Amino acid sequence: MEEEKDNSVNRPNRRNFLKIGLITGGSIAAGALTITKIISQEKKSESGVKRTVFTQDGKVFTADQSHLHDFEMPPVSNEEARRGIEGKKFVMVLDLAKCDGCKKCTEACQAMHFTESDREWIKVYKMRDAETTAPYFFPKPCFHCDNPPCTKVCPVNATFKRQDGIVLIDNERCIGCRSCMVACPYSTRYFNWNHPKVQPELANTAYSPEKSFPRKIGTVEKCDFCPEMIRQGKMPACVSACSMDAVYFGDQNEDAVTNASGITFKLSQLLEDNAGYRYLEELGTDPRVYYLPPKNRKYPKPDINDDSNDKKETHHMEMKGMNM
Amino acid sequence: MNIKTIIKKTFTTVAGTALYCVAATAQGKSEATIELSYLKKADMSKSASAVVKAKNKEEKFVSAKNARVNFYVLDKNELRLIKSADTDDNGVAVVSLQKDLPLDDSLYFTIVAKIENDSLYEDAEEKVHYKDAILTINLNPQDTARLITARVTETAKDGTAMPVKDAELKIYVLRMFGIMPASEENSITTNENGEAIFVFPESIPGDTSGLITVAARMENNELFGNLENKANTSWGIVLEKEIDPFPRALWEPYAPLPLIITVSALFGGVWCVYFFIFYQMWKIKKEKTEIISQTD
Amino acid sequence: MEVKTETYNLNQEIETLRNDSLGPINKWGRNTKIWIGCLLIVIIWGLYCYIQQLRAGLGVTAMRNYVSWGLYISTFVFFIGISHSGTLVSAILRITKQEWRRPITRSAELLTFVSLLFGGIMPIIDLGRPDRILNLATYGRIQSPLMWDIVSICTYFVGSSVFLFLPMIPDMALCRDRLTICNTRFQKFRKWLYTFMALGWKGTKSQWHRLEKSMTIMTIIIIPVAVSVHTVVSYIFAMTLRPGWNSTVFGPYFVAGALYSGSAGVIIGMWVFRKLYNLEKYITRRHFDLMGRIVLALTLIYAYLNLNEYWIPAYKMATAEGHLLTDLFSGSYSTVFWILQFGTVLLPIIVLSFPKGRRPLMILITCIIIVAGAWAKRYVIVVPTLLHPFMPIQEVPGDWSSYFPNYIEFSITAACLAGIFLVITLFSKFFPMMAVWEVEEGIHIEHDKNVAIEIRTKREAEEALLIRNQIQKDIEPKIQPA
Repeated sequence: MEEEKDNSVNRPNRRNFLKIGLITGGSIAAGALTITKIISQEKKSESGVKRTVFTQDGKVFTADQSHLHDFEMPPVSNEEARRGIEGKKFVMVLDLAKCDGCKKCTEACQAMHFTESDREWIKVYKMRDAETTAPYFFPKPCFHCDNPPCTKVCPVNATFKRQDGIVLIDNERCIGCRSCMVACPYSTRYFNWNHPKVQPELANTAYSPEKSFPRKIGTVEKCDFCPEMIRQGKMPACVSACSMDAVYFGDQNEDAVTNASGITFKLSQLLEDNAGYRYLEELGTDPRVYYLPPKNRKYPKPDINDDSNDKKETHHMEMKGMNM
Repeated sequence: MNIKTIIKKTFTTVAGTALYCVAATAQGKSEATIELSYLKKADMSKSASAVVKAKNKEEKFVSAKNARVNFYVLDKNELRLIKSADTDDNGVAVVSLQKDLPLDDSLYFTIVAKIENDSLYEDAEEKVHYKDAILTINLNPQDTARLITARVTETAKDGTAMPVKDAELKIYVLRMFGIMPASEENSITTNENGEAIFVFPESIPGDTSGLITVAARMENNELFGNLENKANTSWGIVLEKEIDPFPRALWEPYAPLPLIITVSALFGGVWCVYFFIFYQMWKIKKEKTEIISQTD
Repeated sequence: MEVKTETYNLNQEIETLRNDSLGPINKWGRNTKIWIGCLLIVIIWGLYCYIQQLRAGLGVTAMRNYVSWGLYISTFVFFIGISHSGTLVSAILRITKQEWRRPITRSAELLTFVSLLFGGIMPIIDLGRPDRILNLATYGRIQSPLMWDIVSICTYFVGSSVFLFLPMIPDMALCRDRLTICNTRFQKFRKWLYTFMALGWKGTKSQWHRLEKSMTIMTIIIIPVAVSVHTVVSYIFAMTLRPGWNSTVFGPYFVAGALYSGSAGVIIGMWVFRKLYNLEKYITRRHFDLMGRIVLALTLIYAYLNLNEYWIPAYKMATAEGHLLTDLFSGSYSTVFWILQFGTVLLPIIVLSFPKGRRPLMILITCIIIVAGAWAKRYVIVVPTLLHPFMPIQEVPGDWSSYFPNYIEFSITAACLAGIFLVITLFSKFFPMMAVWEVEEGIHIEHDKNVAIEIRTKREAEEALLIRNQIQKDIEPKIQPA
């Protein structure tokens, strides 16, 4: 136990990093204070790695990573979490030709957001469009639609669309009517039916819509594109976790997406070269998530009849996998 | 769920580091490898980064986090410790280096990265030796083409700058999460003057004033390692600022006016009628008092 | 001499009517007490279950992530549907000046009021965070169909309360005047209640004028409000992209379904009160026959919309919709689906087409089937669609991929139903279940009509006599010279 504590003190681990978050403050003065604090942290040796972070007004600020590590920042205000980052339009690309269904994205997501095991914010489906067509793996996060059916029906503005394209939920406002759950055609939303398990490490964490934890009973949760990570200039957990480089994330305004290996592609070129498409385009929800078709796969195709408790259900699924 | 699966899960995920530490200690040290690279940046700052990978329980090499890496330089045939750093979640440890690294007779410097007596990982070592070079970048806006000129020079013994010939350079554009090749064919080779010219494409978006950061890089060069230089320019496509990022819309907090008008007109009308009825009821009640006052 | 007897008969008739309608008031027999006791037990058990749900969260119900709306929302739609009875019978028949409406308007309006009250409670029971209900006021978004529901149901609730209350004013005055002995505290309370509700009614000309004007306005305004209510209730489903709900016919389909289940509910109420309070004299076979015709007409409209709702997508069998329809027609919901189609569409059409089918008992049985079927139908509209999302249901906990309400949901829903019965029972113990003055008015009109007919026959006879005399006078002089 002693040793464990020692480790966590001397070696900055992920938990510390998460808390650090980003530069905030209700005003410019607060922002300036933050920077002064960072600069004053001279005793810590520099790692040489600069990290880009976003200030409240969307300005980019670069600081040494080691300094950021030590600094605990409060979560952004509710207003800021609702506005989002100015000038950004986040977008995700999922390459079905590369996805081998390993579910590392789901695991990373669950660890990042401390979700219970039955909540898969990014869920890997085994799909087959028709009985004669080939099966493929289909990872599905929230699509963060530009014409979101979920935010339309929310009676209290608890789920909202930000200017950077991200759709979030304010669990401190949600009344639990579940209109958004029935409105979402992609089944991305999960409800906290029971008292959420209390994670001791989250006991003192302040809630923010950008974080989705500590979660609250009787409210809805879903994939949030890890806005806290984005504010640190890092990609969402599922993107970094993909060992197949099947997930890309980036800013549509920059026309660039980056994968887990850190390779950045021109978004428009990537979609053009691979005939990228959006799932269920005909519904007109205008998703911010693109798919590259499962062509020339280098991994075995999913076994549709495997890994399901209920054979009948599998068949059912198979039939419904059709999307066109 | 047994301990093995727990280890397997936590290994690849971000949480549960502490648990992993304890578990790994109990299981003994794991075999580790180091990949060492050297980078010289635009501001002449030098850094070394070590990517540590270790075998997991499935005998696969994966990123090793929290490994202490000691960085040394070779100074007069003696290793001198300069800095230590811990690897992050991606197994990367980065240190900044002093500007004038000790050089040997043929102008090479040597960096060594070691894992020594780590509680989690077995000892490992890796070294690189490179020559020092300077990469400059120049942007020449011309009538029809936007040209980027990159130049590489090395410093001779007498201190003069010598052009480096046939060095491969790559041109990138800085993006939010990484560096993007400026075009599909983004590599150029220096000529006898140490210069390489790249035609910058027109279809790269910049920020609201078209600003863009262009980077020229020399990557994994056998002689010089990694060099980088950056320059800002307004060659990017100007990003049109959203005039109203939160318009009145069905999916936004504020409703479109026609909807508000329609709903309030319909139900407002009904409520007006209700209030007229309430008024009538009040009148019916009031009549009683009149009668009573008359009889009084 | 003759006219005096007529008046006497008329007064007697009205006196009997008043006695008959005010008779059951404040009679707390043994059966009533047992009935109320049973209802209270159901309500208290339901409250206990609701407290459990409040403490442990909605996880105590059978609802899970796929079926996130279940029995509560189905019941909400059903109760709101039943609430359309009052509008139909009362307002539409008032507008069309149907004389036979008079004895049944009160019970129809009451049914509207009560089912709306409990229908409105259902979505609140369904909320995950009822403690945050005020957020609806502070952060309300008018773009949300749920908000349209709230606005529209509140409007309808206020409207139907007024619509129930207005015709009660003269009756309250009658009750007030008839309650002369005020010895006990309870009687004093009743006296105060009647006095308060009578709004100082003296039956003056201007009071009558105002009352009639208000009634006319309310009759007209309540119909579009009622239609809007069930239309927007359907919108909470139809505004989604879900197969089975994504339908343009949903508004009228729900309105038709509501009117038809609501008027069936009125018939059940008519039958029960007729039996319990011996109102056979006022609610006659003719009333059942006419109401039966209305239900038949509404069933036909409903059947027509039903055809549109299922046949159009079934012809095309578009992917997602096709899977839902296959499940309904021949899958896990096919038994319920076909029983409902036969029981609530075909059966009422056949039975109610024959005069014998419109006899009180037959029509009662049909209407019970219709009302029960309407409830089940709401469930079949809500649940199977939620079990057929666009994304396949894969690798989820077992209880996510199926749904049947558990005891908590049944108990709470039963408590709401018991609440409806309790309010109706208590109402009938305080207030007359027939609009006395309206029936009186009917009697007067009938009497006047009779008097008018009598006078006319008399005049006709007199005129005939006169003419005959005239003819005789004309003929006589001709004879005389001859």
